[in-house]
Amino acid sequence: MKKLLTLTAVGAMLAAPTFADTLRLGAATAQTGGLAPYDAPVMEGIHIAIDEINAAGGIGGTTKIELIEKDVRSDAAQTSIAVQELVDTGVSALILPCDADPSLAAIGIVSSAEIPAISTCASSPTLPMIGGDYMFANFPGDNVQATVSAAWAQEQGHDTAYIIYSPDSQYTTMPLYFAEVFEKMGGKVLGQDTHSIGQQDFSAIATRIAALPEQPDVIMTSSYEPDFPSMLKALRSAGVTSQMIGSDGIDSPTTFSLGDAGEGVVFTTAGYAEEGSPLEAFNKKYMDATGSESQTVFNAVGYDLIKVIEAAVLAADGSTDPKALRDAIANLENVQGATSAITYKGTDGMPVRQVSLIRVKDAGREFLGSPSPDAALIPAPRMQ
Amino acid sequence: MDIFLQQTVNALALGGTYALLALGLAVVFSIMGLINFAHGELMTIAGYVLMYCGIAGLSFVIAVPLALLASVVAAVLMERIAFRPVRNGSGATMLVTSFAVAMILQVLFQNLISTRSQPVLLPAMLSDSVHIMGMVIGVNKLAAIIATVVMLVFLDWFMKHQKTGIAMRAAAEDFAVARLMGIRANTVIAGAFALSGLLAGVAAVLWVSQRASVDPLMGFMPVLKAFIAAILGGLGSLRGAVAGGFLLGFIEIYLSAFLPPEMQEFREPIGLGIVVLVLLFRPNGLIPSATLKAEKV
Repeated sequence: MKKLLTLTAVGAMLAAPTFADTLRLGAATAQTGGLAPYDAPVMEGIHIAIDEINAAGGIGGTTKIELIEKDVRSDAAQTSIAVQELVDTGVSALILPCDADPSLAAIGIVSSAEIPAISTCASSPTLPMIGGDYMFANFPGDNVQATVSAAWAQEQGHDTAYIIYSPDSQYTTMPLYFAEVFEKMGGKVLGQDTHSIGQQDFSAIATRIAALPEQPDVIMTSSYEPDFPSMLKALRSAGVTSQMIGSDGIDSPTTFSLGDAGEGVVFTTAGYAEEGSPLEAFNKKYMDATGSESQTVFNAVGYDLIKVIEAAVLAADGSTDPKALRDAIANLENVQGATSAITYKGTDGMPVRQVSLIRVKDAGREFLGSPSPDAALIPAPRMQ
Repeated sequence: MDIFLQQTVNALALGGTYALLALGLAVVFSIMGLINFAHGELMTIAGYVLMYCGIAGLSFVIAVPLALLASVVAAVLMERIAFRPVRNGSGATMLVTSFAVAMILQVLFQNLISTRSQPVLLPAMLSDSVHIMGMVIGVNKLAAIIATVVMLVFLDWFMKHQKTGIAMRAAAEDFAVARLMGIRANTVIAGAFALSGLLAGVAAVLWVSQRASVDPLMGFMPVLKAFIAAILGGLGSLRGAVAGGFLLGFIEIYLSAFLPPEMQEFREPIGLGIVVLVLLFRPNGLIPSATLKAEKV
């Protein structure tokens, strides 16, 4: 049976170079394990976009999208196995997990199969650099987010900063980018601390910061749950009152339910649902499809990803040939997604997208703006 | 000096939580020879109960006993359903069973509740801090220290003066002889699980009050720490588990506090290195169990 399937798949691929009636997409994402909190909502958004496109007759009214899903359990080795299986079924494009590390585990297979792959929400700018021509990201880069938040901090008149980061993953080293930009803009970094992902107790770090001779104006971290709430509460109960700056990883309901400790936290993320914005429209679609409110911007990020693929198929004149799709994605400009306009042209695969600044206010979101960062300030991707 | 005292309070609070966790493992191990890696999932269950109570608008004062009750019931059910059938199996069989229970529960949480972590509403008071003798101490730190002391006193009383407790001590020393004296195996083992469930519940409340959220995989890290603490203290010995928990807490906090900044990245390997060093000199742990005569090879 499997052989038959493979044969039909190969047959279908050979028989349909242009104006295919189906586009086969392979998703190897983490539906269980540590990355599931990000990949699971992204897949919800992906399903909403695919259902919408297919209900309208497919991409360009002709090409329906067929999605094959595999759970990689947040495991790097499992990602490469799942990607190999998907490649064997003849997919035209691949969707990879939310973190750079498992996505990179599949890079050998992706490159040799010459099939474009998009990570759901990895934000490390090193991903497409290491990944090569066929690897794309779908999120504002860490270095761009850090530039936006550093510029905001300076605008607010904050001159001194302290960073807390974890060397355990590429994403959690974002504060190093922040420190680089902050110093470049004339600010002073008073010190730094490291922690490990999943560390329960931040009291030692909090006590040390509270005892500094000069209190930092801002403390920047890209740690996410469960580390971020523990860190924040430890700092506040040690008497540290500095402005906290975080990143997209804390765009989660917990951040808004921390009570007084959470108030005033500022973070960068992929979008904000202003009235009349595409994100607000998406959130309505999400409500209609699932019956509940979208709790995170990662739903919309999934929708964006399918919009990018749709635009690429259209740009390739309806072709579902993987190579044609890769070239089309690499040249996309201003694709309107749910969160932002997305441009790949002129980048190495790390898209240019809007970064929004959000402040926690009265347990809700206060929109601080979506400033375009000064390109000269954006730090170069840093290889670990 | 101030900083040193302050960090010592931090270490006491963390060490106390580790001690409760390690005790939960040790109570079961001392009787059954099983290291229950699903102990962390008992914490997750207690955490979810706190979360649902918060959503239902119940006060924290009611939510905490409910969470403790849930984790006790879950522990007893775990024994009845998963561990009783393999009770006479080898240590490896029981160990693998406990991993299986942990994984099945994690997947159930992911599928039935949510893959994303869920916020737990906590009373604002827990984020406050009090000033004692020039030190700033978080209320949740204070709660951790008090809860540890209360639990240790309770456990001491239970083991010395309660029939089930005495029976458990007897069973830990020699289960076969204890049974010949008329002690029911089922009662003792179920009692041990109930006790470990209670300890997991208390630890969960302390753990969750710091992180303010629960997620399906939450239990892994604490059970790992508990395992290290239990080994460090002497596997199967209750006093050892307490000593191991506190020592681990002190090692972690002091390293984090006083290691020079350029060495901070190596904090965890250094910490575990110290644990290995202790074990080199005391291969059976700090306070080894009298009955488990592991030999140095």
